[in-house]
Amino acid sequence: MRRLIRYGVIIVAGVLGVAACSAGSSSSSPSSTASGKAPTSGTLAISNANGTLWTCGFNPYNPSDNLLSVGFTYEPLVYVNPLQDGKTTPMLASSYSWGAGNKSLTFTIRPGVTWSDGTPMSAADVAYSFNLIKKNSGLDLYGVWSVLSSVTATGNTVTMDFKAVAVPYFYYIADETPIVPQHIWSTIANPQTNPINHPVGTGPYLMSKCTPQNITYTANPHYWQPGLPKIAKIQYPAYTSNTTANNDLANGTAQWGSQYIPAINTFYKSKSPNYNYWFPPTVNVSLVPNLTNPLLSNVKVRQAMSYAINRNQVSSIGESGYEPPANQTGIVTPTFSSSLNNSAVAGWGNGYDPAKATALLQSAGFHMGSDGIMVNAAGQKLQFTVLNIGDYSDWVASMQVVQQNLKAVGIAVTPDNLSNTQYDAEFYYGKYQLAYGDQSIFGPSAYYELNNWLNSVNTAPVGKLAGSNWERYSSASTDKLLNEYSTTTDPATQQSILNQIQQVMLTDVPIIPVVESVDWYQYDTGSFSGWPTSSNPYAQPSAYNFPDNEQVLLHLAPK
Amino acid sequence: MAMPVSGVPTDTPTQVPAGHALARVGRAVRSNRKAATGTILLVIFLLVALFPGVIAHDSPTQDAYPPRLNPSSAHLFGTNAYGQDLFAQVIWGTRNVLIIAFAVGLFTTGIAVLIGVAAAYLGGGWDGTLSVLTDVLLVIPLFPLLIIIAAYAHGEGTIVLIFAITLTSWSYTARQLRSQALTLRNRDFLVAARVRGERRLYVIVMEVIPTMTSLIVASFLTNALYAVLLASSLQFIGLGDPNTVSWGTTLYWAENNAALQTGEPLWAIAPGACIALLGAAFALLNYAFDEIGNPALRPVRRSKRVRSA
Amino acid sequence: MRYALRRLGFFALTLWAALTLNFLLPRLMPGNPALSMMSKFHGQLSPQALVALETLFGVNTHQSLLSQYFGYLHDVFTGNFGTSLSEYPASVSSVIGSAIWWTLGLVGITTILAFLLGTGLGIVSAWRRGSKLDSIVPPVFVITSAIPYFWVAMVLVLIFALTLHWFPSQGGYYITTDTPGFNLTFFQDVVNHAFLPAMALLITTIGTWILTMRNTMITTLAEDYVRMARAKGLPGWRIMLDYAARNAILPNLVGFAMSLGFVVSGAILIEYVFNYPGVGYMLLQAVSGEDYPLMQALFLLITVAVLFAILAADILTAILDPRTRAAR
Repeated sequence: MRRLIRYGVIIVAGVLGVAACSAGSSSSSPSSTASGKAPTSGTLAISNANGTLWTCGFNPYNPSDNLLSVGFTYEPLVYVNPLQDGKTTPMLASSYSWGAGNKSLTFTIRPGVTWSDGTPMSAADVAYSFNLIKKNSGLDLYGVWSVLSSVTATGNTVTMDFKAVAVPYFYYIADETPIVPQHIWSTIANPQTNPINHPVGTGPYLMSKCTPQNITYTANPHYWQPGLPKIAKIQYPAYTSNTTANNDLANGTAQWGSQYIPAINTFYKSKSPNYNYWFPPTVNVSLVPNLTNPLLSNVKVRQAMSYAINRNQVSSIGESGYEPPANQTGIVTPTFSSSLNNSAVAGWGNGYDPAKATALLQSAGFHMGSDGIMVNAAGQKLQFTVLNIGDYSDWVASMQVVQQNLKAVGIAVTPDNLSNTQYDAEFYYGKYQLAYGDQSIFGPSAYYELNNWLNSVNTAPVGKLAGSNWERYSSASTDKLLNEYSTTTDPATQQSILNQIQQVMLTDVPIIPVVESVDWYQYDTGSFSGWPTSSNPYAQPSAYNFPDNEQVLLHLAPK
Repeated sequence: MAMPVSGVPTDTPTQVPAGHALARVGRAVRSNRKAATGTILLVIFLLVALFPGVIAHDSPTQDAYPPRLNPSSAHLFGTNAYGQDLFAQVIWGTRNVLIIAFAVGLFTTGIAVLIGVAAAYLGGGWDGTLSVLTDVLLVIPLFPLLIIIAAYAHGEGTIVLIFAITLTSWSYTARQLRSQALTLRNRDFLVAARVRGERRLYVIVMEVIPTMTSLIVASFLTNALYAVLLASSLQFIGLGDPNTVSWGTTLYWAENNAALQTGEPLWAIAPGACIALLGAAFALLNYAFDEIGNPALRPVRRSKRVRSA
Repeated sequence: MRYALRRLGFFALTLWAALTLNFLLPRLMPGNPALSMMSKFHGQLSPQALVALETLFGVNTHQSLLSQYFGYLHDVFTGNFGTSLSEYPASVSSVIGSAIWWTLGLVGITTILAFLLGTGLGIVSAWRRGSKLDSIVPPVFVITSAIPYFWVAMVLVLIFALTLHWFPSQGGYYITTDTPGFNLTFFQDVVNHAFLPAMALLITTIGTWILTMRNTMITTLAEDYVRMARAKGLPGWRIMLDYAARNAILPNLVGFAMSLGFVVSGAILIEYVFNYPGVGYMLLQAVSGEDYPLMQALFLLITVAVLFAILAADILTAILDPRTRAAR
């Protein structure tokens, strides 16, 4: 009986092995270009593990779904590239200008653009989109109506009036707000919960088929840019696990990756000379002190912590070298290197200096206790708990390195690895001592992140929800600087303010940046050309960045 | 975790005073090959757990070495992606695993003895209620329930694991003990004790439980085995505390770093093999106890005598 | 008949217990649904939007616990399991629908195979007491039944998928190139992907069948009627199957029901390692996504499925074996 089983297994294995070979080798062969406006060749497959199956909703205002529709089917007024210091590319607006005192913004809307159902797009649709967000505040994902007072369309222009000058909001208004068709959305009863299963937009692609496992987009034959897009079809599978998504990149099933891949050189890059990756840094991941904590409110303690952390080691061990070390000025390099206040950096010295850290602690009245923890005359020990997100294994690993670094200078930290919910509950409400975290919004200059962290309008007392200033930092002079930044469009003034903000980061140490978060991006040059690279960063390169993904799609061409 | 080997109900053992029972067990272990192997394995693991520093000289948590080194004389299992010595991790992890195994084994068996024997002796309404409680918990799928509990508890670490596993695992043993206690209820020596006027509690603790020693020991081993498997499974899927040093958490990190696909198979294979070995040790001992308890199951040793024609 | 009613009563009681557990557990633990929603969008919303969401999803529990409980029971029995947080705004029932078939297929077929092969091997092993076979079988399978499920899965992946490339290392089918449907390529694809997970499940669960069957057989073989059959001169295989096995298998059926819980656990872990799109994998995804409605619904589903199987096995045993009816 056992022999039979053994033979049976071998036979079955053989049969299935043959089946495996034949099933796995199917690929799409490019068809010949036919006449007509839409391209007929090239299928691009995206590998971006979302963790869940698709719901086939494409509402551009739903934070779960907008990555699937904005950039593919919906477009913004102006594309702003955060990787090239905010370089603008006109999209639905052919031009724009600021009014006197930067209190108004006027867009000229491009003629000749049509919605995918054939209706012409006009300035009225733009005004409608903004007023829709005004009426339904749940759609206002970026809070644009906290600064706008009115949006009106006249002829082919749209004028936006500001109740307070807020130049940086240009990014959220022009780049981050999708424009939707009035003739369809005015019939929708509840724009916030309507799934929008069949999106109608002006974008280069149409959503042609959606199953929970895969979305297929086809090129829009009536797209307003002639000759674009060049790729006929896009597949966007719903990967529920990173492993499957990573494997599909490694074996060439998908060509555009937005994945965290462990040991990426062994796993992915070595599999083909056409495989490449690039991780542009975006925002800081920081050790965030609760400034209301009596021991942490001492700036020398915070400075000591900053000097004690070996950021190179955190980057290479905790993040496998994918996320570069950050610096105490809070300027993310090389993305915003041009904004770096070099003299301030020189004054701060080497970012990793345990001797300096120890000296600072001693000058603050601490001495090394017998248990290896620094203690002051009043008997208070430098031991804290650090909030961390247990699910982010790279953050957990990074915190292990930070923990070891701090231990070496006598500061004991114990990680408290929480679920996302628990973390938000404690971090946002200020119920913590130390935390490891980052900002979610990345904008075209260092101002966006720093304003989120430092502006007191974003904070709240302990026990109440703070929007983004979770460390509870408040300084009237810093607020003045940040508010001044938001009133000007002059690059020289902006840089001077940023220089001063960096000085604040060094003097006040409100947060301690450790490493820089990156966009995950892998690309296969064998099947397509036109990819964004570190030498040509024409857009944020991940498939989940929108509307940057549209720029990528418009540059790509099949080989 | 393996399914319980539901054997034939063991024959009701003869009454034996407590001390002699243990001695009998000890003799049986030595003579049975499976028991001997299991014991040796268990003793090895115990020694490793008690004296990890002697065997592994590196710290299991310091990211002290170059990452992804192959096995060598300096690093017997190589290093992982974080530069930690894998051999040290596996050795130091033994302690956490054995603590969980013995703690859960003890508590679970303790609760099971309490409830199972009480149900058998109190009879009537008590028996009905306790039996229903036991059966209900027996039938609800264990692992999914554990996942839910651990998920809500947000993986707070070893103590939570021990409590959660104990709370969900005692029912099978309770049922077995109840069955055996029931069969003993009307045996002569117990009737004699009742006639003598002994109190019920005395009868239970001094007469009944010692007689059930082999079953209790076997249950302890089974529960320890399941505790190891359940705890490492929970840690593996990320519901334990990722900062503890344990076999399950090492596997969790290995899985998160795609160890198998990136040429570091030992990161995943080594702790898994240890779990398998420890599990095998418990299982072998358990199987041996089955045989000791039920002579019918003992291996038939063929005699070498030539049969007369 | 009485027996069936008693079992049904027990089944109903257990169902109630599971439902109540499901209801109580989240209320005993920290966290609230508004925060779950917010942290789901962690990293995607501006500060202002976060504050807006908080007011939008304000938790409103002015109801007493008891009325919440009855509301919950009502929802469950009308099939309303709520909205999934991770697949917002899809309903939980629609999300689960897709995954059930994968698990049923994997677990169902593997369990039947394990049962048949295992029982067969157990019978033969017991019949040939003292042979070479019998001395290897018990120790080997005692050890395999103690090996963690996920480790077997990992070893299989390492050897057969990553080194030999005979089978794919994860997934239910090739998502980008295949569309589900009743055609041969899809079927081939499914079998291809299911082979290793099925092997893993088979290897780890077969041990218990073999050992249990062997133990029961050994006791049965000692019975008088078997000796009688031997005395009558019946052929060996006939005694083995018709007399001994048939009686020995029945207690096994009860064990089958009990072991279903373990098979389910094994399936969850194996689906996890293979990223097999079944119910178990979905449960773990829901856990990591803190999708509590989905988690609860899946737990209920698994419990109810196991209960049904046990009920079926119990009733089948009662029909086939008069002894159980009398004994109870």
